[in-house]
Amino acid sequence: MEIKVMKNILDRNQNKADEVRSVLSMKKVLMVNIISSPGAGKTSLLERTCEELGTKFTMGVIEGDITTDRDAQRLKKYNIPIVVINTEGGCHLDSHSISKVLDNFDLDKLDVLFVENVGNLICPSQFDLGEAFKLAVVSTTEGDDKPGKYPMLFREASAVMLNKIDLIPYTNFNFDIFRSDLNKINSKIPLFKISCTRGDGLGEWYKWIAERIDAR
Amino acid sequence: MHEIRIAEDLSAIVLETARRENLSKVTKVNICFGQMIQIVPDVFEFAFRETVRNSIAENAELDIEIVPVKVKCINCGNDFMVEENLFVCNKCNSTDLGIIQGKELFVKSIEGE
Repeated sequence: MEIKVMKNILDRNQNKADEVRSVLSMKKVLMVNIISSPGAGKTSLLERTCEELGTKFTMGVIEGDITTDRDAQRLKKYNIPIVVINTEGGCHLDSHSISKVLDNFDLDKLDVLFVENVGNLICPSQFDLGEAFKLAVVSTTEGDDKPGKYPMLFREASAVMLNKIDLIPYTNFNFDIFRSDLNKINSKIPLFKISCTRGDGLGEWYKWIAERIDAR
Repeated sequence: MHEIRIAEDLSAIVLETARRENLSKVTKVNICFGQMIQIVPDVFEFAFRETVRNSIAENAELDIEIVPVKVKCINCGNDFMVEENLFVCNKCNSTDLGIIQGKELFVKSIEGE
């Protein structure tokens, strides 16, 4: 006997994500889901962003980490609410884990909530957290082949941060290959060439994200 | 690694459906994955086996259909299959495209007795 099911396997995650999105939209909080491989510079980008925009906007951060609270420790000095979710081996955050920690934030006061997903380019792209948009962070030291290898993320993200551009002379990263692969997948996606260490290119990012927070 | 979590959610749906339909054994599970989801079938099969161990779906055969990516051009209406991740209309060169298939992640049916 065959029984038709025709059901999305990730229905449970999707339903909760829709619920989170509706709560955040009601509270006028912009949630950004930051996705990258480990070490690309998600936390460094958050440090820079907190420094620059911390007085202009009320920010909160959810730190997704397999274990430890080291990333959260780095952001402590900005005096913003931070919640750590340790996935204990899990390679991505899901909407249920986000929903559970939302109560730790005063959503009436928050303008923007950055979610630093677990470092991984495949799995986090599949799990909607209820975010307003996904932000892909890649660094030049990882190589120029990431858009071609992980098309889903670069198709789904609303912007790409290319970090560590100051290190290009010391690597075999070819920007033309990177740009051309990205163009094939998502030619309209904004691309920010930045160095979180030196500060290159961050002005444009601050302007872009501030516009989105204002328009939420 | 996302295969494990997706396999867990799949086995929950399979077992719930089997219970509702009063099946004593699930013999086959037919699922559909879009190419963009980047599921590795062997890894998924392994994860699924683990999640249905000691259940009525323990010996169920897993049939995975992989659906290629298809898009529709918003500019000229052309629909075409995406090859080698090239999201550019092959008629008018527009990059304004809507994905119409390739992101599937669903259970089509289960078979059992």
